[in-house]
Amino acid sequence: MSRRYDSRTTMFSPEGRLYQVEYAMEAIGNAGTCLGILASDGIVLACEKRITNKLLDEIFETEKLYRLSADMVCSVAGITSDANILVNELRHIAQRYQLQYQEPMPCEQLVSQLCDIKQTYTQFGGKRPFGVSLLYAGWDPHYGLQLYQSDPSGNFSGWKATCIGANNAQAMSTLESEFKEGITLEDAVPLAIKIMHKIMDQNKLTAEKLELATVTRSDDKTKMTIIPREKLEKLISEREKLAAAEKQK
Amino acid sequence: MSIDEYNGSAIVAMTGKDCVAIATDTRFGVQRTTITTDFERVHKMGPTLYVAMSGLVTDAYTVAARLKYRLNLYELRENRPVNPKVFVSMVSNLLYERRFGPYFSTPVVAGLDPTSGKPFIAGFDCIGDPTIGTDFVTDGTSGEQLMGMCEAFWRPDLNKDELFEAISQSLLNAQDRDSYAGWGAQVYIIEKDKVTKKILKARKD
Repeated sequence: MSRRYDSRTTMFSPEGRLYQVEYAMEAIGNAGTCLGILASDGIVLACEKRITNKLLDEIFETEKLYRLSADMVCSVAGITSDANILVNELRHIAQRYQLQYQEPMPCEQLVSQLCDIKQTYTQFGGKRPFGVSLLYAGWDPHYGLQLYQSDPSGNFSGWKATCIGANNAQAMSTLESEFKEGITLEDAVPLAIKIMHKIMDQNKLTAEKLELATVTRSDDKTKMTIIPREKLEKLISEREKLAAAEKQK
Repeated sequence: MSIDEYNGSAIVAMTGKDCVAIATDTRFGVQRTTITTDFERVHKMGPTLYVAMSGLVTDAYTVAARLKYRLNLYELRENRPVNPKVFVSMVSNLLYERRFGPYFSTPVVAGLDPTSGKPFIAGFDCIGDPTIGTDFVTDGTSGEQLMGMCEAFWRPDLNKDELFEAISQSLLNAQDRDSYAGWGAQVYIIEKDKVTKKILKARKD
């Protein structure tokens, strides 16, 4: 292939491709899955944890979910150390906006500004792109609850339901058939579990391997709730019962 | 006319038994002219952490906004509410960064430690020298008057109602002796599980 065009991150190949960006997306395709569903009354983010060694000390609240500001959270898929840099930058961008305008930053602007930064790594400098895709879930007074996805190229778009990381194509096709307009959070959470259960078919889905958070609005405040392990175990076992029943039919 | 007297303010914080109170006047004026009488000087920085800014209002507002910026990032990174002692260092650092062109505003911090619930108050000068108070901290154009009033009314281990009385009387009587402060007063009583805000009727001059 046109190998001589892929070591320089900022050069096009003759076919008009940016190989480094594509290789970055490859890296993400092997990382832990992140799934997001925008329901009418909340957003659910479900993530597969890859690092589950029992010797690990649990100092962090979450491995893949991060709060960005009072009204936005994100989940990451890809190289964790790259993700830390981007999350830190996102937090600073949001605070700078808040300081300047004394109001919370609109979701799309936050995503857009970070993506502009990501894009520079595909055009200038000779540094490799960030090997991270992110799902952003947040609220702003202009458009309400929103779900966005961005990738190493600096492209982003708003979604009603989406998936990044390993087996994301399988998840997306399931979402396309099962996602219904106007779905509520009460139905979206089991749907997320159902899809995670399906795509993690080889490795059994357990509560230790899953991180699930919901973003809702109540009392004029945005709440990010991380579902506790006991509740996850309950949801997973309910899913397994349903799956066994479906198999029998 | 000194820049510290351009707007005028009266700020006091007092410790009680398992509670703290912070109180300010509510006059916003430009030299002798009073512009509004419902000016909020107290800013909430956490569920049990409040800061009131004295001095030039534009600087007071800016310092409070910059402080909130740093505090938000701290709490996102550390995933816990800030400890008042650490907050004092944050304030001190922010003010000292402007050592040779300072903000003409001095904060007064009042809060409870998020884990132990111990009362905590602190005052600063405009370049960030922190004074962690044991009984009370006063600030503003009425600072000296407040010192005298607090010395008379404060006792150790006041319960929340006694504390409210002590801080209110100190504030009201001190600000009456200062033409740049007054026109109303607000008192925040901070306890471990709730914060009460009371608005006092004051002399409207």
